[in-house]
Amino acid sequence: MCAWRKAAAPASPLLATYLFAAGRRLAIVTIPPGSKAKFDLRADARENGRADPVPMRATQTFPAVAVEGLTKRYGDVTAVEDLSFTVRPGAVTAFLGPNGAGKTTALKAIVGLARPTAGRALINGAPIDSMAQDARVLGVYIESCGAHPGRSARDHLRSLAALAGLMPGRVDEVLTVVGLDEAASRRVGTYSTGMRQRLGLASALLGDPEILVLDEPLNGLDPQGIRWLRTLLRERAASGRTVLVSSHVLTEVAQTVDDVVVIHRGRLVRQGAIEDLERLGDGRVSVSTPMPERLATAVRRAGGRVAFQNGGGRLLLEGIAAARVGELAHSERILLHELVPRGGSLEEVFFSLTEQEAA
Amino acid sequence: MTALIRGELIKTVSTRTLLGYAATGAALAIANVVIVTQASGDLVTVSDKQEAIAGLPIIVLLFGLVGAAGEYRHRTAAPAALAAGQHRALLLLARAGAYALTGLAIGALMVAVALVLGLSLLPAHPGPGLGAHDVALVAAGSLLAAALSAIMGVAVGALVRNQVAGVVGALILAFVVSPLIAVIDETAVEFTPFGAAFALAGDPQAGTLSWGGDALLLLAWTLPLLLAAVVTERHRDLA
Repeated sequence: MCAWRKAAAPASPLLATYLFAAGRRLAIVTIPPGSKAKFDLRADARENGRADPVPMRATQTFPAVAVEGLTKRYGDVTAVEDLSFTVRPGAVTAFLGPNGAGKTTALKAIVGLARPTAGRALINGAPIDSMAQDARVLGVYIESCGAHPGRSARDHLRSLAALAGLMPGRVDEVLTVVGLDEAASRRVGTYSTGMRQRLGLASALLGDPEILVLDEPLNGLDPQGIRWLRTLLRERAASGRTVLVSSHVLTEVAQTVDDVVVIHRGRLVRQGAIEDLERLGDGRVSVSTPMPERLATAVRRAGGRVAFQNGGGRLLLEGIAAARVGELAHSERILLHELVPRGGSLEEVFFSLTEQEAA
Repeated sequence: MTALIRGELIKTVSTRTLLGYAATGAALAIANVVIVTQASGDLVTVSDKQEAIAGLPIIVLLFGLVGAAGEYRHRTAAPAALAAGQHRALLLLARAGAYALTGLAIGALMVAVALVLGLSLLPAHPGPGLGAHDVALVAAGSLLAAALSAIMGVAVGALVRNQVAGVVGALILAFVVSPLIAVIDETAVEFTPFGAAFALAGDPQAGTLSWGGDALLLLAWTLPLLLAAVVTERHRDLA
């Protein structure tokens, strides 16, 4: 039965019965008359070393992660420059950028492993460097598994659980979750790359955190592992938790994420919903006509852009809807052989965003 | 803090490194007893005999140094800090505490080996034998030197962050710089960190300071190094 923590609350003269749902569990707690008891499941969970049953995001109004003017320099090299973005709670957000864009450096600064040269990162509204971090609030996977090669996975996680003040039983739970339970007694030095990835993820999941920050977690995972991780991330978001996952391959994460943050050369390129990014690829029309010059002139007059393809017999039109092209062709008496609306792939959009920034 | 020390203790005892240092320490303790009692002529004085059972705190210093610097080599420092929260200073202090405890265990093994072997071989030598007080001073000094040397090793390892550089530097200081200082001024070497540690552990060459003086001197070397490591750890990137 749930315990409760006493806190300042109006005394009730009546025997009150509180019925509440805690995650998927249902509990009935009877509070004696005159009791000043008030529920604080988060505190209970912490005291008992259990996963927090009520994610904070259910009521919070501030972003789960907020990055404000973050700059990180290593000598003369500026890895991240004036980066600002937010991650909304209860969503999976992709942190995208090509190799060397500054993703890992930014994530290290966000979680407090690296000191920003300027700016700051806030977790649940509190500056990362001012808060007593908690493995139940923030779970992090950044580069390698962070385990001594001569130590077993179980001992590695046991030490982290002890440092985090978690119950030892949590170790076997996460080992099962990541599928390492049978190899838990082996030394990490004998692990494959994928197994190390899973161990790193187990470390991040140890406190069943509200916010999960993962840096390139799909690297080294086999297709089965990738599917497992995608499912895991979606399940966490569905349960109200927050995930910030970095990748340099948009298609890897496109089907998993709700929002995207795109950076290039350490600077923000775009932030928004994944649907917004997909829409950026819309609005292109492919046309085949025996009168390309006349159609091009009409399209340009209407505000569209024209690119000739296949020796001029095919036009790729941008900034104009397919229906409008059809209307123009009809009014100008231009024969059309083919009229196809085309959406650009997410990858093309990603490339165009980062190339624009580079230019 | 107890949880942090427990977590760090799990790390120190869950690799073969501890066993390796314990075995090396025991082997060197045996070698020291055998060399001093069998290859150094007659051990006539009490201090000569104390040298046979003297501790070797540099083994434990290297144990702490390699362990602390290894946190950065194997990138275990970052997940540990994330699990422990942002209390990097407390985590480093906990690490020092864990290594002091395990260093004490290694020191105790070395003392036990040295006493069992040394006390069985020393009666063959002329002159006054070792009294209980003489043995107790060496044993207690060796244990204290082991604990403080482990802490000093952790501090140096956290400052240097490079195992090879740290170990090579420590060995050069112990076996090149310290003897050179002794050539210049024999009494001055006792005031170095290694000199104080060896003196506390029963090195008969020392004699300027008392047992308590050596203990305080070693503490005076250890604490500032630990403080420097803590301050540095708070301001440096962990990954």
